[in-house]
Amino acid sequence: MGVRDLIEGKKQWRAHVARVKALPPDYRIVYDEIQRYLFKVGPVDLIDGGVLPGLLDFFEEGAAAGRRVLDVTGADVAAFVDGLIKGSPTYADAD
Amino acid sequence: MGLAVDDLTEMLKGTLEGCVLEIISREETYGYAITRRLNDLGFTDVIDGTVYTILLRLERNQLVQVTKRPSEVGPPRKFYALTDAGRQNLATFWTKWRYVSSRIDKLKEGDA
Amino acid sequence: MSFWEAITGSDLTRDWKAFEARAQALPADHRVAWEQIGTHLFSHGSFTGRNLTPIADAALGLLEEASAEGQGVHEVIGDDIAGFSAALAGEAGAGNYRDRWREQLNRNVARKLARLGG
Repeated sequence: MGVRDLIEGKKQWRAHVARVKALPPDYRIVYDEIQRYLFKVGPVDLIDGGVLPGLLDFFEEGAAAGRRVLDVTGADVAAFVDGLIKGSPTYADAD
Repeated sequence: MGLAVDDLTEMLKGTLEGCVLEIISREETYGYAITRRLNDLGFTDVIDGTVYTILLRLERNQLVQVTKRPSEVGPPRKFYALTDAGRQNLATFWTKWRYVSSRIDKLKEGDA
Repeated sequence: MSFWEAITGSDLTRDWKAFEARAQALPADHRVAWEQIGTHLFSHGSFTGRNLTPIADAALGLLEEASAEGQGVHEVIGDDIAGFSAALAGEAGAGNYRDRWREQLNRNVARKLARLGG
């Protein structure tokens, strides 16, 4: 199970968090809000499917390219996130 | 621009994945470059997030393989190349596209 | 009486007693976070908490390592302890909340980015 596995690999999780912290402020805000949303919606493969680590890679590349966060995600962040987890089962879907 | 081609999102929905596969088939490339290629082609509404979502799906379905390579600016970039399944999928896409576009052209010509 | 005793009462197991002893060694902030995670975990698990033991162990371990590395609670868990705990427990709210969460996500992003832009 996603987050649980990541927490059990505590070193990885802390490395992940340290990278999030190094993002520019606008990216960090959006990352934090997305993570908060995903924790609630609960895709089963949040980590195994690489959703959070992949998102972080994507944001780091965008920031390095000098782009603003909403230019890469689009203004509708929720739609972007739902696109990311489309096809992966969520706890919310199971209800 | 005389033509109203500024909102193609809905129409592109089913075809963007094929476009991305085609771009990758030309040379191994990375997400942000793929978006730029599509924008330069005239699909100005396509954003990085959309391309990223497509790449994620292609990766999950094992149509592409991903290699991380160092970049001069910032973090390593993920480069994408087609797998055999990806090449097959792309060929199917073009067959379907030719079929759909020829039928629609015919409809417009009025002799369908 | 500690929080855990209040919750688990006479069912308090050796595992949970050991957790409590470890928690006592944490800095105050981390200990508060641990208790909050506990509250939320219990709302997801069975009352005896048996199935939650490995999860709680992992969460406590995370806080211990964070404090050893001088990392604050916010840095390892963020500001959404409820959401973090729900994800740990492998559960989430009902699907019909999803639209509300979706709106909340976009609203929060817009508000926080506006504040950032000044």
